[in-house]
Amino acid sequence: MATATKSAPSASMQKKSKGRIVVDWLTTTDHKKIGYLYLITSFIYFLIGGVMALIIRAQLAAPGLDIVQTKEQYNQLFTMHGTIMLLMFATPLFAAFANILMPVQIGAPDVAFPRLNAIAYWFYFFGSFIAVAGFFTPQGAASFGWFAYAPLSNTTFSPGLGGDLWVFGLALSGFGTIMGGVNFITTILTMRAPGMTMFRMPIFTWNTLVTSILVIMCFPPLAAALFALGADRRFGAHIFDPENGGPMLWQHLFWFFGHPEVYILALPFFGIVSEIFPVFSRKPIFGYKTLVFATIAIAALSMTVWAHHMYVTGGVLLPFFAFTTMLIAVPTGVKVFNWIGTMWKGSITFETPMLYSLGFLTTFIFGGLTGVILASPTLDFHLSDSYFVVAHFHYVVFGTVVFAMFAGIYFWYPKMTGKMLNERLGKIQFWLLFLGFHATFLIQHWLGVIGMPRRYATYLPEDGFAWMNLVSTLGSALLGISIIPFLWNIYITAKRGVKTNLNDPWGYGRSLEWATESPFPRHNFTSMPRVRSESPAFDLNHPEHAAPEAKTEKKKG
Amino acid sequence: MKFNAQLMWFLAAFYALASGGYIVWYANSNRGAFEPIGSAAIAMLSIMAAFLAFYLQMTQKRQGPVPEDRLDALVEDGDFEAGYFAPWSWWPLFMGLFASVCFAALAIGWWMFFIGFPLALVALIGFVLERSRGQNAH
Repeated sequence: MATATKSAPSASMQKKSKGRIVVDWLTTTDHKKIGYLYLITSFIYFLIGGVMALIIRAQLAAPGLDIVQTKEQYNQLFTMHGTIMLLMFATPLFAAFANILMPVQIGAPDVAFPRLNAIAYWFYFFGSFIAVAGFFTPQGAASFGWFAYAPLSNTTFSPGLGGDLWVFGLALSGFGTIMGGVNFITTILTMRAPGMTMFRMPIFTWNTLVTSILVIMCFPPLAAALFALGADRRFGAHIFDPENGGPMLWQHLFWFFGHPEVYILALPFFGIVSEIFPVFSRKPIFGYKTLVFATIAIAALSMTVWAHHMYVTGGVLLPFFAFTTMLIAVPTGVKVFNWIGTMWKGSITFETPMLYSLGFLTTFIFGGLTGVILASPTLDFHLSDSYFVVAHFHYVVFGTVVFAMFAGIYFWYPKMTGKMLNERLGKIQFWLLFLGFHATFLIQHWLGVIGMPRRYATYLPEDGFAWMNLVSTLGSALLGISIIPFLWNIYITAKRGVKTNLNDPWGYGRSLEWATESPFPRHNFTSMPRVRSESPAFDLNHPEHAAPEAKTEKKKG
Repeated sequence: MKFNAQLMWFLAAFYALASGGYIVWYANSNRGAFEPIGSAAIAMLSIMAAFLAFYLQMTQKRQGPVPEDRLDALVEDGDFEAGYFAPWSWWPLFMGLFASVCFAALAIGWWMFFIGFPLALVALIGFVLERSRGQNAH
């Protein structure tokens, strides 16, 4: 581990021309730079998808509005909102955090296959562009919903280039995701620093490993399904024709990918908050091994629950999927228990990353509870395809991905750039985001209960949905506004933020990234501490409270 | 580490059990019918996990104990040479760009494919052979 390739420090010190900087980013094989590329690209898609959501909410603010010109445009908006948020924002955001942090956390100089890593990014970049490029075609983008149910997604019901571009663009970016997954698994299995045993890895790294295993299990079925759909649409195949039982085949294949995908979004972000809670509670993580095993259990189970999205087809084995789905609440509950146990009797301080982590915890628990409701077929028959489901998955996905993303960005920003983000702006943003989010989505539960179906472009005054939709739309405006302080924060920090010279600016960082300089040097470490527990940086910086193994070794000399 | 192979064996066993359970349960509540899609999907997960488990176990056996799995290893115990890391490369960008032309061709028209495919082939060859010749050969 001692030597990686020698990077010339003098070269990086020289003032670079603008062209040189662009070339550096385009040709980079540095896992951190690729991670930043992922982070920036996915955040831009988050903003694009967010604007689409605001248009959708504006359209639904009152009955009978015509904010979007045609209903077809409305269909395109919700389809692309879902596609962008899941496959162009949240999934690559996992790759972003995993790329930036995982190699540092295991004490590796880079990922196992740096150039493959770059290919994975460019596949995602170009694939996503192809998929959204449908907006530039005359008929517009795909409009069959992000899960593209057959036969709606065939050329009879959804003609047009937009749908074809959607299919093949997603296939390409899916290959990028698979490559990323393989790369992360190889890196974690083969490139750990001496002494960094599997059970000393930070929880975030564990979750990256488990998530990557999920990626290689569930993205290939998606690729297969998309190619089959592409063959149907473009080359006259009849794979998903209703006469052949195509609709059920598509739904099975899609949700066999689609449900684990939700856990691909959730697990890495569970990992992020598992890094943050101990630091701001000044306590080690409570129940390290149970957390790891809970993650594995969630991943294993998540591949066997897919058909709970298909209860209303009447063609699936209800008790099996209800059982496995409810079972998955157990390891998730274990995790929540561990997070609370970590905070219990700790000396907690509420810096912005901690606030966001707590925001995640409350929001996610709401989503988890409604998930148990929806797992029960009898209740699901009433609620399926209503706004209750919309509220449920926004609580789960927004709760984990967005809250934990901001937690992670505020937490690791000093490691990425060497500057701390402004705390006061961060807190203002948190409260705007938190209140905006709950105002938008809490009320949608009741909208769903009184029967508002999802994906309808408008509704009648007699339906009685009006005031609830107005509340939701106002909440979404607040949610949209909350992004402004964040962008402003990034701007003023870049402009006049103060460089921190500390390796560990938060003071109680635990894993290896807090034992190296901020920002990271090119191959991550100029010197590395001994790894004697799951928190080597903490052992180094606080020897009096270090883990027992690290202490006894010190005594022996 | 032993645990890596064990993890994969666990997954293989779990999915074998789950697919078996699914098949039996489905048959039991549908008068002996067989649901091919889900059964095949879970069963194939089991096979894939077993592949990985077998490979990891063989590698681990061949390799013996490595410093990253020892509780008392020192930083100096690691390999002196961690590996070779390409400092930069143009090929991933080209690979991505031309692969995307090929994929877009599937949606738009074959004429694009005939432009994109040769270029992608060039990018692939460049990518594979980049570090095998010239000043950066290893």
